[in-house]
Amino acid sequence: MTATVERARGARPRGMVVIGRRLALPVSRAALLAGVGTVLALVVASVATLSMGRLGVPLSELPTALTGGAEGKTLFVLDRLRGPRLVVAIAAGAAFGISGALFQSVTRNPLGSPDVIGLGAGAGAGAAVVALKMPEGVPVSLGALIGAAAAVTLVYFSTGSGFRDPGRLIVAGIGVAAIAIAITQYVVYAVERERAIALTAYVNGSLAARSWDDAREIGLALLVLLPLTLALARRLDIGEMGDEIAAALGAEPKRTRSRAVLLSVLLSAAAISVAGPIAFIALTAPQIARRLTGGWGAHLVLSALLGSLLLVLADLAAQQLPLDDMPVGIYTMAIGGIYLGYLLTREWRRGRL
Amino acid sequence: MTTDERAGATASGAAAHRGLSVRGVTLSYGGAPVVRELSLDVPHGGLTMIIGPNGCGKSTLVKAMARAIKPDAGSILLDGTDLRAYRGRTVAREIALLPQSPIAPEGISVRGLVRRGRYPHHTLLRQWSPDDDTAIAFALERTGLTELAEARVSELSGGQRQRVWIAMVLAQQTELLLLDEPTTFLDVAHQYELLELCGELHREGRTVVAVLHDLNQAARFATHLVVMREGRVVAEGPPAEVMTAGMVAEVFGLPCDIVPDPRTATPMVVPHARHPAAAHGEPLPVEG
Repeated sequence: MTATVERARGARPRGMVVIGRRLALPVSRAALLAGVGTVLALVVASVATLSMGRLGVPLSELPTALTGGAEGKTLFVLDRLRGPRLVVAIAAGAAFGISGALFQSVTRNPLGSPDVIGLGAGAGAGAAVVALKMPEGVPVSLGALIGAAAAVTLVYFSTGSGFRDPGRLIVAGIGVAAIAIAITQYVVYAVERERAIALTAYVNGSLAARSWDDAREIGLALLVLLPLTLALARRLDIGEMGDEIAAALGAEPKRTRSRAVLLSVLLSAAAISVAGPIAFIALTAPQIARRLTGGWGAHLVLSALLGSLLLVLADLAAQQLPLDDMPVGIYTMAIGGIYLGYLLTREWRRGRL
Repeated sequence: MTTDERAGATASGAAAHRGLSVRGVTLSYGGAPVVRELSLDVPHGGLTMIIGPNGCGKSTLVKAMARAIKPDAGSILLDGTDLRAYRGRTVAREIALLPQSPIAPEGISVRGLVRRGRYPHHTLLRQWSPDDDTAIAFALERTGLTELAEARVSELSGGQRQRVWIAMVLAQQTELLLLDEPTTFLDVAHQYELLELCGELHREGRTVVAVLHDLNQAARFATHLVVMREGRVVAEGPPAEVMTAGMVAEVFGLPCDIVPDPRTATPMVVPHARHPAAAHGEPLPVEG
């Protein structure tokens, strides 16, 4: 026994990064590898986004162009066309990814994603109402936030059991999404055609013609919300063991849950306000994170990175595939829809639906 | 001691009780109260077992003692101070709870789950403490899981899984352990193994409170027995005084004889046979 104890005392903590006496954070090897891999893939996808196609900056010129040596057409492409668009894609993807990870963790439900519960549709409806029916000056993002919050609240109360029961969650989500889409359609129908076309792109989620203002907006949101989210990570992990044990461990499950839902709605709304309700990134990114690490927990950082990667890839497809100007949201919806179908079938087979 | 005497004693005895004490607590899940104006001093350093028929509120009481449920009225004191006045993690370093149906996260290893018991000893930026490894090794050893430390919890049998949860609670290294029906899912040999472990922990100086269904196990291992019915404590004290044929008949509706346990001389419940004619011959004369 003594030997065991001494060995245990001398051993470096496993799966921990220890810096000094104050800082020790858990980092699993699998998560680290997956994280590094995702970052590399993200770099490749970003370079491809900047350099592919007719207007792309050739690879050989990219290093000089990115370090301030850009001029003329190159400058225009980087500064106006693709630069802000790429940054918005990375940031919005990360926000969607974390938003989904938070929701899936607190609902203990792989289908508990902002997509499934109609958050995106609600945000779209809110944005449509504000953009087309309110006097100018009311920010569209405020409409998205209110719409998202309203949709989540409606789902929460109409299931009768909060976010717990996956079956009820989906049914309520479908209902709320249908209401939201009806509102959007009505607003679009009721306004002039020109503005409606612009709004249709927004409602599907599009990254075309993003500006540095959009990039700043989502960047700022991430800067504020990301640290708050990470501070919640460990409590979320503990909360997955059930409310009673989490409370007994001092992880304040109820407070943690309401904070996580709030942060999830804010992150989603921030992403939606700059990119529109792009479908299924929030659902898919945390799922892939879980599979890559084979582990438990909320995987917030990895979900963020994967969300960025997914959105950059989808937007690359939107820019380069020969279907002119298709909003990126249509691509993610097509691919994400297939994934949701797979997920539903699996949950049903396991008897959880 | 009856409930009324108990209430009188706590009201007059103003001196702070060491450890946990429950003062006039009413508990509910939003509807009708499950526990009504209940008072109880958990003997410090004792091995307290709570028994009672289904739905009598014993699980609810234990949850509230670990701060997992907020009382509607009354207070639960730790060393004389209301639990709600402490921070969550402070309480969690003093009191551990094993609820009835905890959820094991998908794919987690035995060591990973046991490690979570260390959560109250960590801070946001220091999610590891030098005592972790010793505490985890101790918990795994006492529950016989050292060999299985790297196995996935989902691959274990129900009994092994229950031991993993016990290990998690042990890793928390608290003075007080609250166990809600810890013997569920265990086969009979493992049930006694677990009860022996409770006894050892108690002898090492910890305060253990367990909700049990089996009256004989409770009577054999408890130093203090608490009997609950309909949200109230109806009797408490040493098993030899509390476990009477009258109490069992009244509280559980089970006519029985009480005989001394041949091994430990603690009271043992022998229910009356309903159809003595169907039994094999005449009942044996009861000794003593």
